[in-house]
Amino acid sequence: MDIETILLIQQIMNGLVNGMTYVLIATGLTLVFGVLHIINFAHGEFYMLGAFFTFFASKLLGLDYVTAGILATVAVASLGIVANRFFFWPLRREHEFTLLLSSLGLALLLTNGGELIFGADPKYISSPFADGIVAMGPMILTQQRILIFGIGALMLVLLYFFIQKTTMGKMMRATAQDAEGAALTGVDIRRVYTVTFVLACGLAALAGALVGPTAMIYPTVGSWAVLKGFIVVVLGGLGSIVGALIGGLTLGVVEALVGGYISLGFAQAVGFAIIIVVLLWRPNGLFGVARRAG
Amino acid sequence: MTMSRFTVPVLIVGAVVLPLATGNTYLHHLLVLWMLFSLLALSLNIIIGYIGELSFGHAAFFGIGAYTTAILGMHFGLPGIFGLFVAAAMAGLFGLVIGYASLRIEGPQFAILTLGFGSIIYTTTNYWVDVTRGPMGISNIAPLGVGGLFEFTTAIEYYYLALFLVAGFGYCCHALMQSRTGRSFIAVRENASLAASLGINVFRTKLLAFVVATAVAGVAGAIFAPYLTVVTPEVMSLHYMVAIIIMVIVGGRGTIAGPILGALIYVGILELLRATGPLRMVIFAGLMTLSVIYLPGGLISILKRKIHIGGGVTDQPPKPEAKQ
Repeated sequence: MDIETILLIQQIMNGLVNGMTYVLIATGLTLVFGVLHIINFAHGEFYMLGAFFTFFASKLLGLDYVTAGILATVAVASLGIVANRFFFWPLRREHEFTLLLSSLGLALLLTNGGELIFGADPKYISSPFADGIVAMGPMILTQQRILIFGIGALMLVLLYFFIQKTTMGKMMRATAQDAEGAALTGVDIRRVYTVTFVLACGLAALAGALVGPTAMIYPTVGSWAVLKGFIVVVLGGLGSIVGALIGGLTLGVVEALVGGYISLGFAQAVGFAIIIVVLLWRPNGLFGVARRAG
Repeated sequence: MTMSRFTVPVLIVGAVVLPLATGNTYLHHLLVLWMLFSLLALSLNIIIGYIGELSFGHAAFFGIGAYTTAILGMHFGLPGIFGLFVAAAMAGLFGLVIGYASLRIEGPQFAILTLGFGSIIYTTTNYWVDVTRGPMGISNIAPLGVGGLFEFTTAIEYYYLALFLVAGFGYCCHALMQSRTGRSFIAVRENASLAASLGINVFRTKLLAFVVATAVAGVAGAIFAPYLTVVTPEVMSLHYMVAIIIMVIVGGRGTIAGPILGALIYVGILELLRATGPLRMVIFAGLMTLSVIYLPGGLISILKRKIHIGGGVTDQPPKPEAKQ
């Protein structure tokens, strides 16, 4: 293989790993929209919290990376219960803008609260997998990046079976179709809200714990995460998990290629350029259902 | 209509004499910011309050206006007050293109799409160093002037210019809401399909509102840049996008006094809490969340209950309705 091809394959592999992060972030976002019809602006903050909790669990409690990451994921998932209790559940009958703005308020609270408590300076999570290298022929990935991809894929499979096979999953799907109808047939909507937020926040936190060691973490990283999440979700279609998977991997690869061959600055904007084109062509996203004006 | 016919003139006279009450130039500076943000919030209010869509890209148009005057001044000498018209045209043109693309979609998707457009404009400004000088921004922007006859230099002069525009635009909004066009905005907000069945072209109505709103935001930016003499891409950042929305919502969407009050609260609270450092944004976010949950009509709705200002069908804030 000549060097050009190797470079190309390497870029695509890097893009797929980044894309898997986007998928993990976007899955929670799309789950909350699909089941509860809520656009959660604060979703990225749970990613931020996942990364910071991992950092502090290993630093203050002296835990190893894996235990710290699991602990952080569980802690943030429990925070999801609190967030739902105070910011989403009481507003379930309000206009969608009220919910959108209330989640925006929560996002600002968490970002600025995070800056206050964690400090604004970037932090670095150490992981035993960060420096280990796996070579596949001439292509190279760190163990941490393999871990991101592997756990991301595993989580999606687990989530798929949870939604398709368990009673709770069926209740969630019923709520997604018609919340009132589901409630009439005895579905405990309140529990569906709680479980959906636990899953969504847990997935975001897990993404934070996994990606943390590959980059610096800082309290404003949440707005980056939620913007990426939005791009993926709109690209794939709001509410569609398959859409989030395909949208996320596509965005990761396109960004890596644009960043590698054109410019890094443009790579940041290309995601939005893609959604604009996609929305003009298919307003519902590639796999979604949305209202169209007029 | 229970509003006294003296209320508005009294408020305007009050606003005119306000800067004369103090010689403190720092307070004058805050007054200018208040008026410029009022203009900006009033323009966004047309989108949020009248046609009932949430735009997250509004700060970008403010930035386009600011950069238009800055670049005109840098490359073509003193732009003068005519820069304001060019800035309005520029921002309105962007508004036309972006509105044309995104107003086909409504609700949350529209909000995300405008966020996308806003972010593209922000990123482009940050990276297109040849034209915008990138993150460094453009400094030493010439003050606004009228063909060499008069130059706006002090804060008080900028305050009066902005106050004039706020009063004028506020009056236009009021007049608009009494007109057929204004009523069609409300009809589109309340029930788009019903409005369409009555012969209102929903898309064109929304586009008109969007273009007017973006052009006015451009004017606000075109005054903001020469007033501060410096402009950086930060004026289009997420912080500003969110701040303008907060002003409109906390003040009271769909009203004229609401966004002006919201801008006052934004400028006032951020200054009062300056000593608390990062805590101020936490307090501010808490305030916004509480206001959204408990006061969907904004702070102006409390005032209305107390002293009965406003009234009439058009001044009512949009009623949040459950959609299932």
